[in-house]
Amino acid sequence: MISKNIFSSLDKANTEKLINRRVALLTIAQTGLFSILGARLAYLQIYKHDDYSSLSEDNRTTHRLLAPQRGNIVDLSGKILATNIENYQALFVLGETGDIHKALIAFNSILPEKKIDIIKILEIAKKSSKFKPIKLIEDLTWGEFSKLNANVHKLQGIYPSVGFKRYYPGKEANAHLVGYVSSLSENESYNNPFSKLANAKSGKIGIEKSRNLDLRGQIGNKRLEINAFGREIRELNRIESKKGRNIQLTIDRDLQRFCYEQLDGLSGSIAVTNIHTGEYLALTSAPAFDPNKFYSGMSHDDWNFLTKSLYKPLINKAISNHYPPGSTIKPFVALAALEEGFDPNKRINCDGSYEIKDTSTEKGTKSFHCWKKKGHGPMNMKEAIQRSCDVYFYTLAREIGINKIAEVCKRFGLGAKVFDEFFEELMGTVPNKEWKKRELGYNWMIGETLVAGIGQGYFLATPAQLSLATAQLVNGGKRISPKIIYKDIDLRNQNKSIKNLADTKHLEFLKDCLFAATNEQGGTSYRSRLIGKYQFAGKTGTSQVRRISEKEREEGIIKNKDLEWSRRDHGIFIGYGPINKPKFSISVLIEHGGSGSGAAAPIAKKVMNFIFKQKIDIERIVITDA
Amino acid sequence: MPSFYQIRTSLSIIDRIREINIFLVCLLLTTFLFGLLSLYSVADANFDPWARNHLIRFVISAILFFIISIIDIKIILKLTYPLFVINILVLVLIMFIGTETYGATRWIRIAGVSLQPSEFIKVSLILCLAKYYHSIPIIEASKISRMIIPVIITLIPVGLVIIQPDLGTSIIILIGAGSIFWIVGINYKYFIVALLSACASIPVGWQYLHNYQKERVFTFFNPERDPLGNGYHIMQSKIALGSGGFAGKGYLEGTQSHLNFLPEMHTDFIFTMYGEEFGFIGTFLLLIIYLSIILVSFNLATKSRSSFGKYLSCGLIFLFFSHVFINVGMVMGLLPVVGVPLPLISYGGSSMLATMIGFGLIMNCYINRDTILAKEGFID
Repeated sequence: MISKNIFSSLDKANTEKLINRRVALLTIAQTGLFSILGARLAYLQIYKHDDYSSLSEDNRTTHRLLAPQRGNIVDLSGKILATNIENYQALFVLGETGDIHKALIAFNSILPEKKIDIIKILEIAKKSSKFKPIKLIEDLTWGEFSKLNANVHKLQGIYPSVGFKRYYPGKEANAHLVGYVSSLSENESYNNPFSKLANAKSGKIGIEKSRNLDLRGQIGNKRLEINAFGREIRELNRIESKKGRNIQLTIDRDLQRFCYEQLDGLSGSIAVTNIHTGEYLALTSAPAFDPNKFYSGMSHDDWNFLTKSLYKPLINKAISNHYPPGSTIKPFVALAALEEGFDPNKRINCDGSYEIKDTSTEKGTKSFHCWKKKGHGPMNMKEAIQRSCDVYFYTLAREIGINKIAEVCKRFGLGAKVFDEFFEELMGTVPNKEWKKRELGYNWMIGETLVAGIGQGYFLATPAQLSLATAQLVNGGKRISPKIIYKDIDLRNQNKSIKNLADTKHLEFLKDCLFAATNEQGGTSYRSRLIGKYQFAGKTGTSQVRRISEKEREEGIIKNKDLEWSRRDHGIFIGYGPINKPKFSISVLIEHGGSGSGAAAPIAKKVMNFIFKQKIDIERIVITDA
Repeated sequence: MPSFYQIRTSLSIIDRIREINIFLVCLLLTTFLFGLLSLYSVADANFDPWARNHLIRFVISAILFFIISIIDIKIILKLTYPLFVINILVLVLIMFIGTETYGATRWIRIAGVSLQPSEFIKVSLILCLAKYYHSIPIIEASKISRMIIPVIITLIPVGLVIIQPDLGTSIIILIGAGSIFWIVGINYKYFIVALLSACASIPVGWQYLHNYQKERVFTFFNPERDPLGNGYHIMQSKIALGSGGFAGKGYLEGTQSHLNFLPEMHTDFIFTMYGEEFGFIGTFLLLIIYLSIILVSFNLATKSRSSFGKYLSCGLIFLFFSHVFINVGMVMGLLPVVGVPLPLISYGGSSMLATMIGFGLIMNCYINRDTILAKEGFID
């Protein structure tokens, strides 16, 4: 019993030792493991602090871009051509909308007449952050907007908001020139910070496109604190966006509108140029479109109409379409002849046609007809211009050759872009021998010189070019730099460096000829003359778009009004005024208008009359002239 | 009965109260206050919904701690097995009438209070094992025949908890039980065998894991794998701790936490938000406090003359330690995400109650350190 007790107590002592050792080991282990925790904490919180700090900062902040306002486009006197107006919208935030369908039903009960494409909007919502506002509807009226404001408590997550949208008060009148904006194309989005804006727009044509970089301004930026769900907590700081630069055009808004109204129902263009400064006061094309419709997406039907219409409403006919100048080229051909020493008093007999040898035809000759079948009889230069005798100019053209004609035309601005501005501007064509060989691969033929003499054949010019050429013809031969963007230039300085484009003596003579064509009996535009203090003068042109066959000539030429529209002749008029102190040149082009005297000259008369009556800018020019 | 021990069988209530170790109580109180501070911050400087409840629960738990500390250890010894059986029955019961939350059935509502029986089974099992080893000759602990009962009474709660499913708690139960096995001197070879067989059973057990548990394990090994999915929580937690830096972002100033980048901020990830706001100074201080609690408790445990007291105290201390270690290791990305609360700081009534009961028992063992306890059952 005792021995067992001793044994057991010895044993007990041993196990006691074991247990104490185990407890001690456990304690040491726990302390050791705690040291690992401590070391890990030191690693995370001290050693890696900087890394995690920046990660935390990235977590909690986000940037929101602030859209700049687009610059305004104004006319010469500061009247608005394009600006931004308030756009009443309804936005919604998915993260604040409990049940989007419920919210939409509530919205619908407030504005029942507004249709919303829910599927499309939910698709957009799916792609963006839960707390980014998404546009539900825009272009609300003030009434609808106030209704929403009054009922905002019923609309969980949908709320009214005021944005901006581009507005063109002139609507169709300036559509092509000013252009329009709409959403960025894929090409434009590439590498473009603006593509990150929710509602990014860029100019598509006209000034909106050419001056897009100036107009669009600078994007601002605000830094926000957000929570894990992207909800904005507060604004940390912001860099304001900068509004785009305003662009002032040389256009006079009222004149432009007047011109556009004159083209009502017609397809054509009017360009009015200040002959001293080269500023274009009007650059109109009709028919046009309402640029406001492009802003928030155009309906399919509207778009189809614009792209498929025979009258090409999307084309700026003043610069983006070119036409054979017809008889409006004659003053320039005449100038070329004068420079070649041709005697303007020499009479050439017009018997209705001009014949050249042509072995390819049966008769061995080829006839070139004057528009007056019976002929004009003997003509000197002044009479030939006044009455627009074709035979006289066939003779002239043949005498001086195509290259001389082309040289003069180019000198006055044909065959080159008028403005260093528009992406959509065409150059027109001033043909010569080298041009034909280069472009078409054939040799020049004499018959082509003859038709070039009356502005037909390969000749092509834009209305803007015709107005510029006329301006330089009547301003004393000064080379002017055409402008559509207003620049406050010092005219006196500019004049010094300018050499005359042609002999003043010749130019004065040609002005007389143009005066006679409009204001003297027998002139082609005599019926469209203005009587009174201010008069104007100009040359008509009728450019054929079809070939008249010999057979048709014998049977009698079909009258324009009996032809389908697209086969009728273009009616053109170039002119200037006032006569006693010229300030403006004009070109009017009526597509398939029938004739220059019938379609274009009467419109030129109205526009000139408007200019004189309104005294548009005449005072301003007197000031800068001095 | 050996008579050379100084016998202090009967202690008056006053004596018992006097014997309460004030230092440990202060440490516990301090830890709780850190919890209160953090929960106030989690609710964006609001007492509601968490801090107020936390305070109430602490008061209740503290009362329970106090009562358990001063009652007769023999009562505890007597109640050990019945309490364990009841607890097991409740665990079985919640399989049928439990409240399901986040796909797990862990809670039971008793008189309007939601309780998590798995929190209590941790303490109950330790008690049970301590009593069992107290009742057998300790040199026989390594005998196979002596290991059957403790292994069975360990595996029953582990099994019941794992099917809830609650991997974290079942691991904790295993660790707690393991610590008792270790202390009673079971041959270390068995631990090696158990560890190896556990490793071998991983491929088998893997199939029984829930998808979210597998994801958590994957995520642990590669948190950047899916930074917006499962790895998100761990990444955000590390960002929060790291960005807190040495001195912290300042109380109530934590951006990661207040902007909701952290998950479960009031429960499992509360240490992260604390660390973000108080920095390394704060987290280091808290670790020191936890370590102090553990070391002070061990000191108290070694004073106990009865093996029951020693086993019980050491087991409970290790249980407490494993909560802290797993939770803190988890939020720092050292361990996989398993739902283990941070004792006295995480919001949770059952956890708080169980922890304070645990310390009540440790204190009780200390107060009754000289009490001679008869070995029931297998008396030599």
